[in-house]
Amino acid sequence: MDVGIAAVQEGGPARMQRASGRAGVSFRTDGGTTRLERLFQEGCAKIRLPRAIDGNVPQAILINTAGGLTGGDRFAVEVDLAPGASACITTQACERIYRSTGDDAVVSNHLRLAAGARLAWLPQETILFDGGRLTRRLEADLAGDAEFVAVEAVLFGRMAMGETLRSGRLADRWRVRRDGRLLFADDLRFEGDIAAQLAPQAVMGGRQAMATVLFAGSAPERFLEAARQIIGPAGGASAWNGKFLARLVEETGFALRRRLEPLLTLLTGGRALPKVWQL
Amino acid sequence: MIIRTATTMPTGITTIMTDATTLARLMTWLSPAFPVGAFAYSHGLERAIHDGLIADRASLVAWLDALLEGGSGWNDAVLLAEAWRSASAGAGLVAVAELAIAMAGSRERHMETTLQGGAFVDAMTAWGGGEPASGEGLMPYSVAVGAAAARHAIRLEDALVAYLHAFASNLVQASVRLVPLGQRDGVGALAALEPVVLRVARKAAASTLDDLGSCTLVADIMAMNHETQYSRVFRS
Repeated sequence: MDVGIAAVQEGGPARMQRASGRAGVSFRTDGGTTRLERLFQEGCAKIRLPRAIDGNVPQAILINTAGGLTGGDRFAVEVDLAPGASACITTQACERIYRSTGDDAVVSNHLRLAAGARLAWLPQETILFDGGRLTRRLEADLAGDAEFVAVEAVLFGRMAMGETLRSGRLADRWRVRRDGRLLFADDLRFEGDIAAQLAPQAVMGGRQAMATVLFAGSAPERFLEAARQIIGPAGGASAWNGKFLARLVEETGFALRRRLEPLLTLLTGGRALPKVWQL
Repeated sequence: MIIRTATTMPTGITTIMTDATTLARLMTWLSPAFPVGAFAYSHGLERAIHDGLIADRASLVAWLDALLEGGSGWNDAVLLAEAWRSASAGAGLVAVAELAIAMAGSRERHMETTLQGGAFVDAMTAWGGGEPASGEGLMPYSVAVGAAAARHAIRLEDALVAYLHAFASNLVQASVRLVPLGQRDGVGALAALEPVVLRVARKAAASTLDDLGSCTLVADIMAMNHETQYSRVFRS
């Protein structure tokens, strides 16, 4: 674990220890089979590669050994898929965003897919604690006919503890490009009294769990009917211009998972989801 | 009458815009009579009303307040401001138009912004036209209005007030038809939203693209679910 040195600055408050992690993984194809090409990990970021079960897509499991993020922490991940490579990225645990004394935790994820590559970006839920502050960027660059499935799910507070978020920040930015042109852009933002912000009917009607799900690839309309069945009254889905987008809001993380698992299975073409996603 | 200071146009021509000319042009361009077909779009409100999420004046005001303060209304205002700055500087609109189109959160939202934007550019030929097109020929509505305001040397905050007022007013009119609300409730909603429109316009005038951000998930879901609504009056 790479932790900054705690130092007391003259005339200033004690500097908090900061965690930082960087990890990168790339995959290539070898006679039609996807193989690991390069693995890089530094600081509190680790990547575990479970042995691929025959016929299944290789998985990479991201691990934050710091056990969560707080103000000033940095976590960055880069994923590269060579032409035709296929991979699934997930996380070992939910990402906990602990109370910050001021700064945001900053997470940057950059994914690059060459033509013919297929990537499923399926991190587990982010849990925002009271006072937690997170700025996150998801950048994905797709080439040619690359196919990309992504989910970001957020739980506002630890529901088991009945936690209410009176302060905090979540700024989650997605920028997905295909051949250099912006295909999908989204900026989710909550700041300040989060519980009050969740309350309006147009926002989340007081519910505490939400998810955004994207598919970028050919004929996205083919998923609409089945996706709407799965999502039911918990959200909506639409498909246009080479993308499928779903948004879900639920009372609890468990209720959200019950819908996300079949939805992600649908969008990844019926392939088995990583074990952590199986209820 | 106050004559505002001269403003340098993107074309290099210097024009003096009076408050009265600004007012007349903004009233025309953002009027329900301007041929962009705004009346055909409910921005998902038709579905929200169908689902009982908007049922009276108070719930309508709360819904529109959320869209303006932290939803698609706010993002449109930030994008309009970026387009205004780009056009004022003589820079292209390709990047901001691409961003605005990529941010449209559903098939019908995409249609709503690009069809109105295209119709706005067409109608502006009555003022000499010359609106630059975006890369693919698609022009989002907020970007078209921001660029036109800059080309006519209209202050950004004035353009934002007019745009956001038209956004709110159009959705109040849609709700009056659907809820049903009386005309008094409609006017009451607009009166209640007036300070919101002014505050959001002021804030957006000082915004950058880093201020983009929305939290109105259910409103976005309603825009998606409008696609499957059985009986519908509006195109979005």
